[in-house]
Amino acid sequence: MEWFFYAFAFVFALLVTASAVYGLYWSSKHGQLRDFEKGAASIFDETEPVGVPTDFFPKKAKKKKDARKLG
Amino acid sequence: MASGTNLSESLNPATSSEAVKRAELSEIDASTKIPALFFLCSALGWILIGTIFALIASFKMHTPGFLGDAEWLTFGRVRTAHLNAVIYGWASNASFLVIIWLMARLSRSLLRHPILLLTAGVFWNVGVTIGIYGILTGDSTSIEWLEIPPYATPLLFVAYALMGVWAVIMFRFGKSPHIYVSQWYILAALFWFPWIYSVAQIMTIWAPARGTVQALVNWWFAHNVLGLWFTPIGLASVYYFLPKVLGKPIHSYYLSVLGFWSLAIFYNWAGVHHLVGGPVPAWVQTAGIAASIMMLIPVVVTGINHHMTMIGSFNALRYSPTLRFIVFGAVNYTLVSVIGSFMSLRGWAEITHFTQHTIAHAHHGLYAFFTMVMFGAIYYILPRLLLKEWPSAALISVHFWATAVGSLIMVLVLTVGGFHQGLLLNTPKLANTLGLQPGTDPVPFLEVVRVMNKYLVSRSLSGILIFVGHLAFAVNVVWMLLKPRSAEVTAPTLFRNPPEMEVVTR
Repeated sequence: MEWFFYAFAFVFALLVTASAVYGLYWSSKHGQLRDFEKGAASIFDETEPVGVPTDFFPKKAKKKKDARKLG
Repeated sequence: MASGTNLSESLNPATSSEAVKRAELSEIDASTKIPALFFLCSALGWILIGTIFALIASFKMHTPGFLGDAEWLTFGRVRTAHLNAVIYGWASNASFLVIIWLMARLSRSLLRHPILLLTAGVFWNVGVTIGIYGILTGDSTSIEWLEIPPYATPLLFVAYALMGVWAVIMFRFGKSPHIYVSQWYILAALFWFPWIYSVAQIMTIWAPARGTVQALVNWWFAHNVLGLWFTPIGLASVYYFLPKVLGKPIHSYYLSVLGFWSLAIFYNWAGVHHLVGGPVPAWVQTAGIAASIMMLIPVVVTGINHHMTMIGSFNALRYSPTLRFIVFGAVNYTLVSVIGSFMSLRGWAEITHFTQHTIAHAHHGLYAFFTMVMFGAIYYILPRLLLKEWPSAALISVHFWATAVGSLIMVLVLTVGGFHQGLLLNTPKLANTLGLQPGTDPVPFLEVVRVMNKYLVSRSLSGILIFVGHLAFAVNVVWMLLKPRSAEVTAPTLFRNPPEMEVVTR
């Protein structure tokens, strides 16, 4: 019976490898590996644009003194 | 909310009657609220329980009589309960929270099938609870990282399968033309974990392989839980939150893609290095060592990329809680991985294997890297789910400094202690350094134990510091959940930055 599990594990490993190879092929075919600048900017949009930080300590953002210190 | 979506429609987007459009970020965040909060609360509960188990185990190392009468809390059980509570309880629940939120945001579509996620969450947490109860009552399988008794593991597997199905559905309905690198990491992790978990369960517990093959499967699994499950989720978070908080794209997207694919190629081979010097074929060990060294490629690539993104923006660490945790985690990812590559070398392992050095490394990876990144992610996500600000900046600072300093002390003390321990065990000549008679050969084991005491006490103290940090975090989260939202505020002020700040950080 043991051979069955070795065979199972082997076939399973091959399938996982094949899926990774297919993933790479798919990403290349669908232009995911082209135009990297666009890729990097894809998480920004009109509501959260490039150039605007989006996280602060609570209430600290209101203090002008703190903001001036950052410069 | 897309909760009413029919499952059959989701399985075949082409026949879907619902015109799915690109949703607003605020709508997307709101749609993830209930499942995300469920996983957050579960994670929070587990990290507190896990830290208490950790403290008990740590105290027992230098005060063996501590709680010595309680059979449920003997070292072998409580240490194992700690490991499983933090791995499957805290870290996995936190991962699910981040996966849900990031997948929805990156797919640019409203969360579909929250019921599916909640079912997965209930299965997962019931499974972990039964598993840890089983471990405490003495049912542990005694196979490291797979100690949860066989009657609880099917629950975990079902939960994971549901989560995977959900992620595939979300991916297919994605409205973003580009698949961001974080999504690659998340999808890959969701594919890889069921693979390693099912194969390891079958070959070590249900139908155990014989002899050293079992040990190989065991360490292949244990290492890949870190490498193919937690590392991808941690890196997915860094690649999203680092540029997002700073408001500037990642330095080199090319490097991030290279990092992903090289990790996919090399990481899964590296687990064998846990058996260096053991009774497994030398070529298998060498292959594991080679893969561990090759891991320097994705690690260095990722480290350079994160550092170059941060250059010029280090002052942002002062005003963003998320960034502090994320940057601390990212720096430690580079450090722990480089150290890990060298630990696989035979000469190094000869000294450090079976010493506290290994414990230092495990906490460096899972705490200083992964857990800190998860904290950072939660500081970003929770205000957007609840539309409230964090109630206390002071508690955030306490949380950061206590956990950062605590984890660094723990890692440093155990790394140095581990080397000391290994050298003393290996090298009889070092007896002189302990003030023993020259020629005392070898160093008596009890002397080594005595030398280790100071390192172990320091570890307990660092653990107390970390626990204080967790309490501060828990108080802040519960306070935030309970406090009412003021009527005039429509969004937390921390989303809206003052004009002065925008200018200086641009």
